[in-house]
Amino acid sequence: MDHEPDREQRYSEFVALLARHDVSIRRFVRSLLPSRDGVDDVVQDTALECWKKFSEFNSDGSEDSAAGFIRWACVIARYKALSWQRDKARDRLVFRETVIERLAQAAIDGLDQQELEQSAIESCLARLPDDQRRLILSVHSPGQSIAAIAQETGEAARRLYSKVNILRKRLLECVQQRLAAEVGNG
Amino acid sequence: MDEATRTRIFKAIDQSISPAEFDRLQDAIEQDDEVLTEYLRAITLCESLSEIAAGQSAAELTAPDASPGRVPQTESMQRSVARRFTFGQLAIAATLLLTVGSVAFWLGQQRNRTTHVTDLGEQTEPTRESQIAGHATLRRSVDLKWPAHGSTYRDGDVLSHGPLRFEEGVAEIDFFCGATLIVEGPAALHIESDWSVEIARGRIRANVPPAARGFIVKAAGSEIVDLGTEFALEVKSENARVEVIDGEVEIRGGEYDGNHLLTGQRQWLKGSDTPESLDGLSTFDELQRRRENAASERFAAWQAHSHELRQDDRLIAYFPVAGTAAGRVVRNEAATGAGLDGKLVGPVDHATGRLGSTSVGLKFGRPGSRVRTRIDGEYPAFSFACWVRIDSLDHVYNALFMSDGYETGELHWQIHNDGRLMFSVMVDDTQKVRHFSELEQREVETAGLARVYYSEPIWDISKSGQWFHLAAVYDPAGRKVVQYANGKQVGSQEIIDKFYIEKLRIGAAEIGNWGQPFRKTPWFSVRNLNGTIDELAIFAAALTSEEIAMLFQNGKPLGY
Repeated sequence: MDHEPDREQRYSEFVALLARHDVSIRRFVRSLLPSRDGVDDVVQDTALECWKKFSEFNSDGSEDSAAGFIRWACVIARYKALSWQRDKARDRLVFRETVIERLAQAAIDGLDQQELEQSAIESCLARLPDDQRRLILSVHSPGQSIAAIAQETGEAARRLYSKVNILRKRLLECVQQRLAAEVGNG
Repeated sequence: MDEATRTRIFKAIDQSISPAEFDRLQDAIEQDDEVLTEYLRAITLCESLSEIAAGQSAAELTAPDASPGRVPQTESMQRSVARRFTFGQLAIAATLLLTVGSVAFWLGQQRNRTTHVTDLGEQTEPTRESQIAGHATLRRSVDLKWPAHGSTYRDGDVLSHGPLRFEEGVAEIDFFCGATLIVEGPAALHIESDWSVEIARGRIRANVPPAARGFIVKAAGSEIVDLGTEFALEVKSENARVEVIDGEVEIRGGEYDGNHLLTGQRQWLKGSDTPESLDGLSTFDELQRRRENAASERFAAWQAHSHELRQDDRLIAYFPVAGTAAGRVVRNEAATGAGLDGKLVGPVDHATGRLGSTSVGLKFGRPGSRVRTRIDGEYPAFSFACWVRIDSLDHVYNALFMSDGYETGELHWQIHNDGRLMFSVMVDDTQKVRHFSELEQREVETAGLARVYYSEPIWDISKSGQWFHLAAVYDPAGRKVVQYANGKQVGSQEIIDKFYIEKLRIGAAEIGNWGQPFRKTPWFSVRNLNGTIDELAIFAAALTSEEIAMLFQNGKPLGY
């Protein structure tokens, strides 16, 4: 049997699903690794593995199967994240396997809430006074490492870091409240 | 959750955590669902912040005024999605597995994805309808004093779910269901929904029209369900009572469950105190009167400042619309005189200004709405400052003050529909500049060398109807462009050599729209403001940030 045209079509379908869920997969992987290091590697391994196993994934092009894809991909990503951390366990801080399992389960359970959470973050951010919003965004912008600020020992850096943490906590509380309200209002 | 755990979470994310602390965090994640959830939420927050920050800092050097057909679709969301998409390595790895044709397809997908997300057709999310979280509006207030910690609001703001506290003053709050509360401070409320509010402290008068029947006020362990018209409530730490002013309420829960109260009847919900009636409460008329008085004081104070400002010899033109009479001309009150008066053209209406019912503003809202003036001369620097109420940003570019056309030395001051202020000066209209057009997916040639200086976003639909003091300082000698909103800096950029220009001009120009009298086609770009302007000052000098802050302070309306 000639598989080529069929394979081509499956591939386009795969690429479309991957493109659509890239952000979710990336976020999922990030939440299982202790830092951004390795996220690219794990996402890449996951994508390749997903393609290899794509024939096992039943897709009929429906919304349900699109939602199924992300869950399926996350399960694969979880294994990839586990094995990446196993490799690195000797030379850096990594999560225990039991912790990764718990994080993975909770993150998969939370996939449905992603959009709500994103819009809660955006509106909480919009509520911050201008100068605070500027500060929090500036330390999170590319090239600016909050980690570098956190590791500096100077008084000014410490003050800045604690200010940033206060803002992040405030944002978290706000997001928490908004999500609770969202559930409450059906 | 304790502070230490929270701090540990952020330290872990920031990679500054010690091995011992990391172990404790792992224990907590395993043992406590709350910590687990919080950790995931913190990760999501930090990732989102990075993405939003990345989206905002994408440098932009294009000159949109030169190509009116270009409509950038790059909302910050899409920009950040584009940045996140880095499957390049996978594409290379994939060549091992796939035919050349498929890889070409893959790469094609990538290119589309990183430049123009909406081209992906069915793979994209539908455009998200704009949404605001909230249940009520702070309609108006007098002398509100907000606590040092906690949210603060301005008149007209949407109030969302959660606490609302103030120490002094009176606020009138319209719930979306139609119920209105007048609340006297010190007050502590918790807004629960369009239909319910909990009062922990404060004196309240609730007006409930038929459309809002069933509105619930919770206090002292009971629910007061309004069955129509008006009741008063006072909640203190030691006692709480309700009194029906007109109509009927039902009490649910607590000691008096099932009680109905009719006009004139009172009930202590908790504790008891004097038998006096609650008649000291503010009424709607009183609030209105107090507000009017406060507004006219503010107006008088502004007028004094405005008269003083007219003496400033750096002024090129000054239009204090708020204090002028209705007519088809808006007077230039600077020493430069009547030659610079603005002429109202097309559908420009007089509306209430920012300083209460006696003040006047110019309402723009339709494609033909404009105020025209002509300001000749050459200037070494510009400072523009205006008070504007933005109702919506309907167009891609929304005009504040624009020179006609766009010739060398002339300026454009406008607002992008993503809420960023834009200020630009044409540096050389004889040059042709090539740049990459996102819309057309190719290099396009546009006439003129200019740079648009953007501020950070200052507006979104939740700010609709609020008054803003906006300012832009274009300072060639100081080599910088600084923009302000409500007295605070919201953008500062360097003028690099390539975009340096010494002699600035205005020429024929418009407030609230863009005139293109010499265009070669019948078509014109729609850039009218949808909103109201009630003061505009133009200086031939670079004002300092202290001076801009002072303009804001001297002119701010009530509640700012």
